Amino acid sequence: MKKRKIRPQKLFGVAITYLAILAVCFVFLFPILWLVLASFSKTGSIYSFRGFFPTEYSFDSFVKLFSDTEMYNYPRWFLNTLFISLMSSLFGTTLTILTAYCMSRFRFKSRKALMKTTLVLGMFPSFMTMTAVYILMTQFNLINQQWGLILIYSAGAPMGYLTQKGFFDTISVSIDEAARIDGASNFKIFVRITLPLAAPMIVYTLLSSFVWPWSDFILPKLLLKNKDLYTVAVGLMALDNTEFSRFAAGSVFIAVPIVIFYFALSKFLINGLSAGAVKQ
Amino acid sequence: MANLSLKHIYKVYPNGTKAVNDFNMEIADKEFIVFVGPSGCGKSTTLRMIAGLEEISAGELKIGDVVVNDLEPKERDIAMVFQNYALYPHMTIYDNMAFGLQMQKTPKEEIDRRVKEAAEILGITEYLKRKPKEMSGGQRQRVALGRAIVREPKVMLLDEPLSNLDAKLRTQMRSEIVKLHHRLNTTFVYVTHDQVEAMTMGTRIVVMKLGYIQQIDTPKNLYLYPANKFVAGFIGTPQMNFFDCTLKREGGKVHIDFTECDAGLDVPYDALLKVMPQYLDGQKKVCVGLRAEDVTLEPEAVANSAVTFKLKISHVEELGTETLVYGDLDLNYSGIAETGTKIVVKAAGFKDFRSGEIVEAAPNLNALHLFDAETEESILPRIPKENFLSCTVKEGKLAFGSLFVPLPPAIPCADGVAELLLPSDAITFDGEIPAKLCASEEVDGKFLLTVEAGGVKLFAVAKEAPTSQELKIGLDLKKIRIKREGQDVVSPLPEINTLDGAFVMEKVREKTAEKRKKIVRYCMEIAGVRLGSTQEINDKMFAAFSGRKVFNTQFRYEFSPYGVRIAEEGIPAKAEGVLDYGREKFLKCTVGERELYVLCDKEISGDIFLLPDPEQIGIVEKERDIRIV
Repeated sequence: MKKRKIRPQKLFGVAITYLAILAVCFVFLFPILWLVLASFSKTGSIYSFRGFFPTEYSFDSFVKLFSDTEMYNYPRWFLNTLFISLMSSLFGTTLTILTAYCMSRFRFKSRKALMKTTLVLGMFPSFMTMTAVYILMTQFNLINQQWGLILIYSAGAPMGYLTQKGFFDTISVSIDEAARIDGASNFKIFVRITLPLAAPMIVYTLLSSFVWPWSDFILPKLLLKNKDLYTVAVGLMALDNTEFSRFAAGSVFIAVPIVIFYFALSKFLINGLSAGAVKQ
Repeated sequence: MANLSLKHIYKVYPNGTKAVNDFNMEIADKEFIVFVGPSGCGKSTTLRMIAGLEEISAGELKIGDVVVNDLEPKERDIAMVFQNYALYPHMTIYDNMAFGLQMQKTPKEEIDRRVKEAAEILGITEYLKRKPKEMSGGQRQRVALGRAIVREPKVMLLDEPLSNLDAKLRTQMRSEIVKLHHRLNTTFVYVTHDQVEAMTMGTRIVVMKLGYIQQIDTPKNLYLYPANKFVAGFIGTPQMNFFDCTLKREGGKVHIDFTECDAGLDVPYDALLKVMPQYLDGQKKVCVGLRAEDVTLEPEAVANSAVTFKLKISHVEELGTETLVYGDLDLNYSGIAETGTKIVVKAAGFKDFRSGEIVEAAPNLNALHLFDAETEESILPRIPKENFLSCTVKEGKLAFGSLFVPLPPAIPCADGVAELLLPSDAITFDGEIPAKLCASEEVDGKFLLTVEAGGVKLFAVAKEAPTSQELKIGLDLKKIRIKREGQDVVSPLPEINTLDGAFVMEKVREKTAEKRKKIVRYCMEIAGVRLGSTQEINDKMFAAFSGRKVFNTQFRYEFSPYGVRIAEEGIPAKAEGVLDYGREKFLKCTVGERELYVLCDKEISGDIFLLPDPEQIGIVEKERDIRIV
């Protein structure tokens, strides 16, 4: 067999590509690696590091996180965050899916204007409205209440309906029409035909609307004053300067539910559910 | 099982595009109707309006005896098969077919029985537990058919159901659908763009183009008697050959002169009797249509034929049982571009034809089709609209052939030679003129009679078949037109009076014994005068317009001279004089600048009031030209 000769130019090109990949990987992974290692630091203080990395390693920070709850009640914060995120995710997904379905399937007056306005409003960062939100929440007596946060997250979620609308657009309208002729009402079509077909999109929406409240800092900081009601993000920021490894351990542990949640739902995140419905 | 009635159906989109224009049709129970036409002709839109998936802009749609304009699809008792199958992908085939019955809350045992029965008919019993994605295109379309038939609908609607299948499967499914129609014995409405499907499946075919119906007829009649050039070209493969030409009558012959080449044909006038005579002057441009199968190249047939022409063969397509010979009437042409003189001839299979060869061909003269070059309408209609005669007017008498018909006072005409256009429906069978029946032909439930009176052959239309050869005919003179040098000197009495107006709402206080009530009434405001409308008119007006738009729209009100009477109150008009047609008298009057004609039996003058009969009134929306009533 004749040996293929590699041209020097090609070799150079491949080398450059791999070097670039390595550089990008380093930039992405190094902070995470550093945080994970810091969470295992024995001394707990950032000042005892040798160069970038801790001098000694142990599980102490993780143990303390769940055992030393007198000053910093991490398990409590964790449950608070889980409750707020789950509720916001459920309500937010319901509203987003309904909004997207309406925009995709129904034709009504000023539909396009409404779609554009919602899109533009959704682009404003949430902290822009901080003052207004704070005053409104005070008026409704929702300061220091988890339901206040859930309300804000759920109501804000449908602003990002565009992805879901795009998905509904791909489900052929003739399936709806066939169901209408078969005698199904709009509600029945939605429940029995569209929702089962939209399972991947519902899972995606559940996940994405879970992540926002789970990692948000600004709104909980603004609305939650009582230490027992803190979410993980607010609680961790309240840690003392000397508790750096506990902070790192708390930050690492926060990723656990998202990972579980993702793996539990990933089997629904498959394409091709609607295959066979219509001839493309 | 039900009949369908579509009356003045329109579909107008918000941007003003008219997808369907004045669609009128009666579909009998158990018929297989096919809507056919090119893309964008409105066939699918019409079907979707029947299904209830598109709103009807104006008109009345009845399924059975029920007006269904405002009914939801599920209340119309129809089933539909879609081009792309539209199966529910997450359900099994069984559930797909059972879904409609589940929605109707049919008992489970009944659903099971019906689904299994339908699956048996369609041969999909073994797939009932599968999902649609595990099935082939043909099987999926069978499931879609099954889903429709389990519901045992009154009307089956099929929207291009075979378009997504390959050619072989399409032919197979085509005959399966026809068999299914025989077995189910229900009304089918089928949409396709494929004329072969239309011709092989339909009991009647509706040919559509740009939202207008071109012709509704049986496959045989569409093929034999196309109403216009479009239908002639659309039905039949290969497409009909068309040539621009002029016709000139020379005694007992008509000379067809091809405009784009030197060729010409002399055809006996007997074969073209029904051609409107104004086209036989050698001037008016005409289009001759000749199907590929109506020309023969067989030497024996050519030798026996009185009329032949020559063509130069360009190329040949061998199809096995037959050979398509492509050629040109212009014997000097050797290019490859399409010309106005190209011709396709269907010859027997495996014949030896060479490119460049000049051969003699003979047309079947009974299968000639002739169309007006501008309007593209057939000038060889099955029922000629008019008899075209030369006549003389002398001392108040109309003379043609050896007949003398006294002209009534309503038709003043100066003496001299003129052309008489006598509509075939203006000949009545209750007159005094003796006539002899020459021929009788049944066309669409009517009878076209050829009668000879005073040495002149006339076409007349009768509702019943004549019982005797000797007839007594009369002429309805209010329908005749007399022309001199191309100008009308006598015009027929208009059949329709039109007046502009609006539709208004009136609130009336009514006092009853107990209390005073406010009652809302709707009125037709014709020429400024309010006339009470009927419930039927109100329903149709509100069905065609949403909200208060109906009150801001201009309408054209139409009524015949027989649908209006002179009354004590009504639309003020000025009597201009009476037109005396002998048997009937009509009062000519004016409303503003409009001239109106009203049936009347006495002399009236001065100011009068006209009262149209609301039952006989027609209403057209002016801006979009849409018939509402």
